[in-house]
Parts: sequence; structure tokens; C-alpha cells
Amino acid sequence: MKKIVVFVLGPDQPGIIAAVSKALFEQNCNLEDVSQTILQSAFVAIIIASMQDSQTEKEVLAALEQKTKPLGLFVHLRPMHAHIVHEQPASESFVITTIGPDRAGLVAGITEILAQYKVNITNLKAVFRGDPDPLHNIMYYEVDIPSSQDHRILRDALFERAHQLGLDITIQHREIFEQIHRI
Amino acid sequence: MITEREIIATLEMLKNENLDVRTVTLGISLFDCASDDVDRFISNVQKKMNRLASNLVEVCDEVGLRYDIPVVNKRIAVSPIAVAACGFSAEGMCKIAAALDEIASKLKIDFIGGFSALVEKGFTKGDHALIEAIPDALAQTARVCSSINVASTHAGINMDAVALMGKTIKRTAERTADRDGIGCAKLVVFANIPQDVPFMAGAYLGVGEPDAVINVGVSGPGVVRNAIDRARAANPKLDLGMLSETIKRTAFKVTRIGEMIGRQVANKLHIPFGVADLSLAPTPNVGDSVGEIFQSLGLKSIGNPGSTAVLAMLNDAVKKGGVFASSYVGGLSGAFIPVSEDLNIAEAARTGQLTIEKLEAMTSVCSVGLDMVAIPGDTSAETIAGIIADEMAIGVINSKATAARLIPVPGKKAGDKASFGGLLGEATIINIPNDGGSAGFISLGGRIPAPIQSFKN
Repeated sequence: MKKIVVFVLGPDQPGIIAAVSKALFEQNCNLEDVSQTILQSAFVAIIIASMQDSQTEKEVLAALEQKTKPLGLFVHLRPMHAHIVHEQPASESFVITTIGPDRAGLVAGITEILAQYKVNITNLKAVFRGDPDPLHNIMYYEVDIPSSQDHRILRDALFERAHQLGLDITIQHREIFEQIHRI
Repeated sequence: MITEREIIATLEMLKNENLDVRTVTLGISLFDCASDDVDRFISNVQKKMNRLASNLVEVCDEVGLRYDIPVVNKRIAVSPIAVAACGFSAEGMCKIAAALDEIASKLKIDFIGGFSALVEKGFTKGDHALIEAIPDALAQTARVCSSINVASTHAGINMDAVALMGKTIKRTAERTADRDGIGCAKLVVFANIPQDVPFMAGAYLGVGEPDAVINVGVSGPGVVRNAIDRARAANPKLDLGMLSETIKRTAFKVTRIGEMIGRQVANKLHIPFGVADLSLAPTPNVGDSVGEIFQSLGLKSIGNPGSTAVLAMLNDAVKKGGVFASSYVGGLSGAFIPVSEDLNIAEAARTGQLTIEKLEAMTSVCSVGLDMVAIPGDTSAETIAGIIADEMAIGVINSKATAARLIPVPGKKAGDKASFGGLLGEATIINIPNDGGSAGFISLGGRIPAPIQSFKN
């Protein structure tokens, strides 16, 4: 058995996952992890599947393309190398939220600092609606911050960068959201 | 994965609705500091407080940063000094108050509570000495708070203590006459005082409490008000049952935050966590008002007919949400209506929408009592005692905590403005009718017996 990663991108519409999963099923592939999201009208999915050693990636990709072409989708497939894994040091999960008017370079500006301090982003969502309500121009990052990192130093660096970018930034341990909203 | 809605809801509570942890209060028992020498007692207290509280402020700030929720006040509550320092004279008690103030200042603590006595059934020598010392002690210190429990459902009302506190409040106001009688803002008379209140001026560490304990007080009237406004905007047909549910859910969230932060602080200090006290405690800032909640629930102003019903519903919903959120809820847990500390309530008192009689009625269903009420400076000690007696009766009969924090502002009359600064705020002095008619009753003294509902054994 070997593993593949499949990316699907295209205009959102009913039937995308049905087409992709049917193609994989017919190629004797087994779905292990699936995640999909929709940003405005763009659909994107990432799928990890296992396939028979006797089959080639080329055959599976051809089958996928045949099923997804009528839907106007782009499909990409590559083998997954399980041994290439980023090992994040012992970390704690925080949520970083920024609020402020849209302009070029916001994500690049914030993530540059995160990369510098070895902070791993596990989930990122940015919504800019150009709305007067500041809560409609929001980015939030779920991140893993190495436990060895001095919280104040990272916080100061992020606050300084956010200030330069005209953003209001909040850094909170993930636990608070779970405590408040989940029983 | 955390949802966008969860993140935005949390941010709104923090950024726009003044959610904060109002206080982390470290309780410290002083019973093992006892001595027959006042200097040795003070030295023992200093050593113990330095050992337990030297990094309280630092740890609270660190934990606050972790969640981006400020811990606004760091406080200490000690064993009732009248018990821990029972053998000393009033002079000795004053010396202890000054020492507590100095320790609090060095530790950067905002307030230290526990200059207290429990006299619901009678006085000890130490109780007398402490009460005698109160006017000087509160005049010469900035951070020390005093509470005297004069009544309980189990003991009844010690009317001798009530009369004495009427006089003590007058003397305390006079000793701080140059600052509108601010000493009285740090002095509260209680019935059924809880042993674990983190809020001032009533915080002290009860005799049944551990050697050291972290209690946390969470506030958030702005959060509750906004939740009500949002719910009503989303569905204008919401009735009071549904709005009560909204308040309850909000109280749940706020209490969870308080308990989480309290436990973190307790863990880092290696001190047990005691209780979370969710009390809607206003500050004199716009958007941090309990009075505004009354307006969100349809009243033109706090004090209008319907106010007692609103407060009853609010207090109950807050308690229900809090109890579901934490197994260790304590202190006062409910809604406060401190007049000078709440811009909206102070304004209602100024315009006459809120009178002393309506305030008293409302205290029968709130979690404390007549709080931060500025009254004319020439109100007699007997009238003050009469007001206290009424307030205590409400607590004793209803098996609940009630309190009176009254400030007879020297040289000022009803309608004048009194200003106490900072969190204590400012207020228009409220009219006290029929001054002079209580003296005969107060002079009778003795103890009003415990009510029938106290005999549950």
C-alpha cells in the first residue's frame, strides 16, 4: 500500500466530492483524510488516500480527471512521503486574532513574525468584507507556540508588527474558547 | 478547530463589553501569627504575607496575558483581625491596620480586607477594640477595608452592634471629612457575611477557610447588557423568560472564564483554588453599568416601578448560570447596585428616579445591599443605625447576605455631589427622610432573636 495526496480546485457546485470519491473508489483507493472548504465561490479539497502498490499514480489521476473535467475542476495528485514530517517542539495552542482595515501585506506581515519565532500555523482564516464593522475584517490564526518561547517577547514582537500594519491584535490561549463556548 | 463565531463572540466580550476578571483575592489565615506582643504579631504577619503573596501581582498579570483578559485588581483577604489579634487595644489595632496597609503597598496589592469583626451574637474584647479603632485606622490607611457582621439568620440582629456601627460610621466620615468621608467607602456592615467574598469592602478570610486560598471575582455587567440588546435586536418578540435564559447563558460564559483564570493563578502559586464569585459589579465607566441592564429590559430608569422584579430576575439568572459553570461558586454571586460606582445608578439617584426606599426594596432581591450610598452629613448616628437595622432584617429573614455601606458626607446635604475617586466613583447625596425618628427604637439595644426559619436542625 502506498499513499497519495489529491488536491481538487474549482468553482463550487453540487457533486464535486461525489465525483472525486467515486473515481477513487473505482481505482480501489481508500480515503483516509478529507478536508474541504469554500472561499467565496472557490472550492478546494485535500484528500489523503491509500492505493494498491500494483496501480500507478498516473492511472488514478487519469480516472480523476475524466470524472472532474465536466465540472471544470483542476485536480493534482502526488505521492505522499510519510517520512517527511515537521516535528514541532512541545508547544501550546493559541489563537491569534487581528482586526483592522484590509490592505496588502497583512498576512505576510504577521506570518513573518510567526515564522521567525518558530510558531506553526495549524489553521488560518482571513475574512475581508470591506465592511465598516471592524469584526468583518478579521484574520484568525490557530497556532502552536513552542513552550520554550517567552510569551512576552513573542507578544511584543506581534504587537509591534500589528501596530505597523494598523491592526488590533489579540493572542489568547485556546483553552478560553473551549471554556466559554463548550460544555 | 475553533469556529469564527466562537472567536468573534469572545472578542466582543473582551473588546466592547468590558469583560474582565475584577479581582483575584488571595485569602491568608493569620491565626498562626498570634502573639501577645503587637510588634511580634505584625512581624509574623509580614513574614507570612511576603512568603505567600510576593509574586501574586506578577502571576495574575502573566495569566491575564495568556488569555488577554485583564485581572484588574489583586487583593488580599485576611482572617478577621478582631479574632487573630483579639488581645490588643484599639491602639494596637490601629498599628496593625497601618502595617497591613504598608505590606499591601509593598506587594502592590490594591486592597486588603479583613479589618473585620463578627459580632452578630455579641462582642469580645478584640471586637470592641477593633470597632473603636475603625475611624482612625481607615483615615490613616488607603488600602485597608473593614467589614463588621452584626447579624445572621442563626443569631438574629445584634442591635447593640447596629447602634455602635451607626456611631462608628459617623466618626469614620468625620475623620475623613476632607475627602467626602471616604473612610466609610471602605467600611461595610453585614448580615450573613460569606466567608469567601473576593469583593471589597467585604472580603475577609473566614475561620473555616484553609491557610491560604485563591478566590476570584468576575464581573461583566456590560457583557450581560449587550447580550440582552443583541438578543432583543435579533428577535423583538423575546419575552422575559427568554431574556432570563440569555442572561443565564451569559453568566455561564463569564463564570467559566473566572474559574479558569483563578485555577491557573492558584496552580502557579501552589495555593488551593476556593471559589468563583460572579457578581455584576459596575465601575464608573460607560458600558460597565448594572443600571443600563434595567434600561435594556424596558425600564426608563432603574428605580422605576418594576425595578425590584427586574433585579430579582437578573440576580437569579446570574446565580443559575454561575452555578452551572462552576462547582465552586461562592461569595456574593449576583448583582450589585452600588450607587456611586455606577454612572447610570448615580444618575437615577440624582434625578430622583431612585430613592432610598426603592433602593432598600431592591436590596431584598440583590446580592448585597445598600452599597456606596452617599447620605447627608448631618444624618444622625441613630438614623444610620435604623437604616442598617432595616437592611440587616432583610438579610436575616431571607437567609441571604445583605450589607450597608453608607457614607454620611460631612458638610454636604441632599442634592450635593460627593466624589470618592477611581472605582469608588461619585454620587449625588440622596435624601434621607424622617431623620430623628429612629432614636427611641435604637436606644432599646439588645438582640433581635433569630427568626423561626433558622431552626432547621
